[in-house]
Amino acid sequence: MIQEAAPGTPVRHSPGPKTSRIGRLRKSLRRDSSLYLLALPGIIILILFAYLPMSGLILVFKNYNYNDGIFGSPWAGFSNFEFFFSSMEDALRATRNTVMLNALYMLTGTFCSVAIAVILNELRSKWFIKVTQSVMFFPYFISWIIIGAILFSLLDYDKGILNQLLQALGLSQMDWYSSPWLFVVILVLANIWKSAGYGAIIYYAVLQGIDTSYYEAAKIDGASRWQIITKITVPMLIPSIILMTLLGIGGMLKGDLSMIMGVTFLNPLLLPTTDIIDVYVYRTAIRSGEFGFASAITLYQSVFGFILVLLANKLAGWYDKDSKLF
Amino acid sequence: MNKKKGWISLLLSAVFLLSACSQGNNESANSGNVGSTGGEETTPSSTADSTKDNATLAPAKLKIVLYGDESNRMKELAKTEFYDVVKKEINAEVEFQFLPWTEYGGGKTDLMLSTGEDFATYTDTNYMVKSVAKGLYADLTPYVAALPDLSKNVDEASFTAFQLSGKQYAIPVGNKPNSAEFYSVLVRQDLLEEVGMTQVTSLAELEAFYDKVHAVHPELVGYAGTDARRMLLYDYTDQNLYWQNDFIALDESVQDDKIISWFETEEFKAYSNLMRGWYDKGIIPKYAATNVPQLQSDWNSGKAMIWAGTAARPFEGAATISQAVPDAKLVNYFLGTGRPKISRGTYSTAFFVSAAAKDPERYLMFFNLLQKNQELYDLFAYGIEGTDYTLDANGRLTKITTDSLIPDWLLMNKNFIRFDNTVPDDFIADYKAWDDGAIISKGAGFNFDNTPVKNEETKLNGVLTEYLAPIGSGFSDYETAFPKALERLKAAGIDKYIAEYQKQFSEWYAKQSK
Amino acid sequence: MPATENKGLLVFFYICIAVFSVICLVPFVLAVSGSLSTESRIAAEGYSFWPRGFSLETYQFLFGSKAEQIIRAYSMSLVVTVLGTLTAVLVTTAYAYVISVKGFRLKNVFAFFAYFTMLFSGGTLPWYLLSTKYYHLGDTLLGLFIPYVLSVFLMFLMANYFRSIPHEIVESAQIDGAGHLRIFFSIMIPLGRVGLVTISLFYALQFWNDFYLPLMLVTDQELYTIQYLMYNMMANIQFLASGNAAHVGGAIIAPPLETAKMAMTCLTVLPIAILYPFLQSFFVKGIIVGSVKG
Repeated sequence: MIQEAAPGTPVRHSPGPKTSRIGRLRKSLRRDSSLYLLALPGIIILILFAYLPMSGLILVFKNYNYNDGIFGSPWAGFSNFEFFFSSMEDALRATRNTVMLNALYMLTGTFCSVAIAVILNELRSKWFIKVTQSVMFFPYFISWIIIGAILFSLLDYDKGILNQLLQALGLSQMDWYSSPWLFVVILVLANIWKSAGYGAIIYYAVLQGIDTSYYEAAKIDGASRWQIITKITVPMLIPSIILMTLLGIGGMLKGDLSMIMGVTFLNPLLLPTTDIIDVYVYRTAIRSGEFGFASAITLYQSVFGFILVLLANKLAGWYDKDSKLF
Repeated sequence: MNKKKGWISLLLSAVFLLSACSQGNNESANSGNVGSTGGEETTPSSTADSTKDNATLAPAKLKIVLYGDESNRMKELAKTEFYDVVKKEINAEVEFQFLPWTEYGGGKTDLMLSTGEDFATYTDTNYMVKSVAKGLYADLTPYVAALPDLSKNVDEASFTAFQLSGKQYAIPVGNKPNSAEFYSVLVRQDLLEEVGMTQVTSLAELEAFYDKVHAVHPELVGYAGTDARRMLLYDYTDQNLYWQNDFIALDESVQDDKIISWFETEEFKAYSNLMRGWYDKGIIPKYAATNVPQLQSDWNSGKAMIWAGTAARPFEGAATISQAVPDAKLVNYFLGTGRPKISRGTYSTAFFVSAAAKDPERYLMFFNLLQKNQELYDLFAYGIEGTDYTLDANGRLTKITTDSLIPDWLLMNKNFIRFDNTVPDDFIADYKAWDDGAIISKGAGFNFDNTPVKNEETKLNGVLTEYLAPIGSGFSDYETAFPKALERLKAAGIDKYIAEYQKQFSEWYAKQSK
Repeated sequence: MPATENKGLLVFFYICIAVFSVICLVPFVLAVSGSLSTESRIAAEGYSFWPRGFSLETYQFLFGSKAEQIIRAYSMSLVVTVLGTLTAVLVTTAYAYVISVKGFRLKNVFAFFAYFTMLFSGGTLPWYLLSTKYYHLGDTLLGLFIPYVLSVFLMFLMANYFRSIPHEIVESAQIDGAGHLRIFFSIMIPLGRVGLVTISLFYALQFWNDFYLPLMLVTDQELYTIQYLMYNMMANIQFLASGNAAHVGGAIIAPPLETAKMAMTCLTVLPIAILYPFLQSFFVKGIIVGSVKG
């Protein structure tokens, strides 16, 4: 087996003697033909289920009606965006809430997932790892509606377990469901609880693929457990963390409606912090049956995310060329 | 650069491909239309004959979409008796498809309409107006002659409710006492009697009822709802308000075309303060701000004292509650004694036919079957005698299976309805007399075209859900919260919205009185 | 592995993981105990860790009235999960390999081509139109998994695992004259098995948890999956919460009973949660066996 790779060595698909551009192209086409073949199924799927439907984006700029069809319907310009951007205060708040919650989810989620993966990597008991790994995955299966029902039984003003505890301790009850900022904390915790196990599996798999020789060398050098974690394990995860962040950042403006629906039941008193874009669109455009408005805002979310990703990708490229997404 | 070019050309070719596809689609949709107009030679004039003699009817396929859970028995019957009877009567193969409630008035229903599927399902005026603007519903005006029996058993006024500029876009089904919907208080009579009261005639008595029961059963919530503007109407105004939508009301006690911007009235203030009192007092539970479905659950499991009433709720509601509280008894109290009850019409709902339907007329013939005669009504609503239900000498019903078929709230027609043998006679008498002296709202039949104020309406919905609904339910205090809410209302364009509504309503109203 | 020193840290680690696992387990215990309680006591007293008034009524009711449907939905879910996962893993790893090949001049183009779809989508209407009218996926088994066989997220994840395989191995194979197909099947797949197992599990979950495809593409009850039955039940709650319910005048839309909700949660979650550790070792073995043959 081959050991000690020096990753990042540039590899030459030897360009060969100087030929014309077209000749080179033809040559590389022939050489890479099997690569195209491998990518083909994926390309077909992407075209069928993502790119062809994308032409529906045109609807965002149209007033759709059935008789004229997608392409024949009259142009509407940017009027489908108007309801959102003409109430700037709401648009800004929704955008801020979405970015804030997503950033918090991303930071805390990544931290917890990495921490769990690193810790699992240190543990020795096989059955303990297996059992806890499965158990931590459990919450990922449960729908937000059920999580909402359980949270409700914890946080309800009169009968909630937490308030009963507070009372038993001689403290006054908390009205959890009318404290918007407190609810940010609750949402962040709920998100960690639901997805940290899932994330941890991704990082843990990376760690399992690491050559043990690194650790042995460090051990011989007399490194402590903590040093090994900070000097070897965590750095090993950095490319994956960057990748996950890059993948996540494009969705920075997309919120999880089902989460807010399930956990807050769209409680109006919590809207100052939970009114993310998807919620706003739901309670305005979708409630009014204006589905064209709703898809317009989806485009806004995508374009915003796209710009963020292009920036982040540049940044990642400065850090390490191989970390770039594309 | 090269890379970019390749990528762009790929996208372009994709777009091109789809546009080719969708052109094909348009053509096929058009040809579908041509087909149906071609089919019309057998329609309007010959309708009467064709229903009489179905041998002349060409075979057709119908798809009826219903919402909710499909019961086992419904599944069976859909393939057997229902199928057979429809085949026999109108030579059509009917198929029932059940969708989750979330798909009602949007979601998959909208997708099915927009992509030209051939089906029919029920709707409300709200969804109808939006869909008609997008050309999604078939114009059923030419085919109403296919409803000879239904139009005898369903009110004329119900038909007008589903017309837009003189065209019939949906066919009303059902005929039942509907007036003063949610204008009465549905009270747990068993609790009322337990605390030594006999009846509720005023707000004061209602609150006394809550206090007394609360003292004995602190675990019960008072009102299992968040909206009491109708049932408490008579305590905060002398006007007879009837709401057109969340923002607009009409005063039915005056004969004019003036619309009222509900949230900007003194009445809204008085009502909000009343509700604030209820919320502080605990009549409306604290959790109502968060968990609306829980209210419904609590009512169903007998954990609430009052609910908003309708004519049918005393026995419909009792059927649900009795599973948790066997001796629960429900009685309606109309607090506006002496004032007329307002009705939107006696229909339950209305069926529309998708614009792409090949044979809209046949759908209407199917709707006709739903309200044609006792025999068919019994079949669709209750199933087969002996298997699904039995009838006693008085024609009262005993259900053998609890599975629901075509929902009976939907079909409910006073000409055919059979009462369960557990329903007391005086309930039935009350029910039948419910609509006596009721008047049809002066706005019935008016449908607002929101196209000019779409943006405003959408933004107003945002203000409603965030600022006004909590004030109206007493979660926020009127004095402190309303100024901000009003500011938002104005910013969202309430004035423009009201003006547009007033304009359309006045025009329509003028035409009516002619 | 470091052995003796820093025992304290290790104990702390064990405690952390154990505590978090217990917290993750809480809703399951509540769900199981809720499903075994009587409705009236749950309604009156709320959830608890121990069934309130132990009863099998809910399950008897569910299986009494819907046994056939539930069993059919289970087998459907199983078929979709197995077929979907197999197809998806193949499509995904192949694409992931392509964008992870060092020096392949179009790899960034392919990566971007995939990533772009993560951000932009044309919305449900064109997707639905194409899937039903042109690809004819309505009411077909294929329709229940084909649209989801390439998750771009998992594809990038897989490419990340591939990139961590030492490049020299690939190079030496290339020197031996191996083409991309051979490198992919006999080197990358076996060496990337940890990643492969991971994405297989994620795919399995995705297919098991999906209710959207049946909602959109299926009308035939034979093709209902267990998650879709679950969704159907929960839809009432969502509809009541949405405020649209007010438009449907006379309809009586009752939220499902608490116990039924909990029982359905158990029915959808427990099988795969219990199978999960076994699936994991099954996948690992399967890939090792497969790669030896290859």
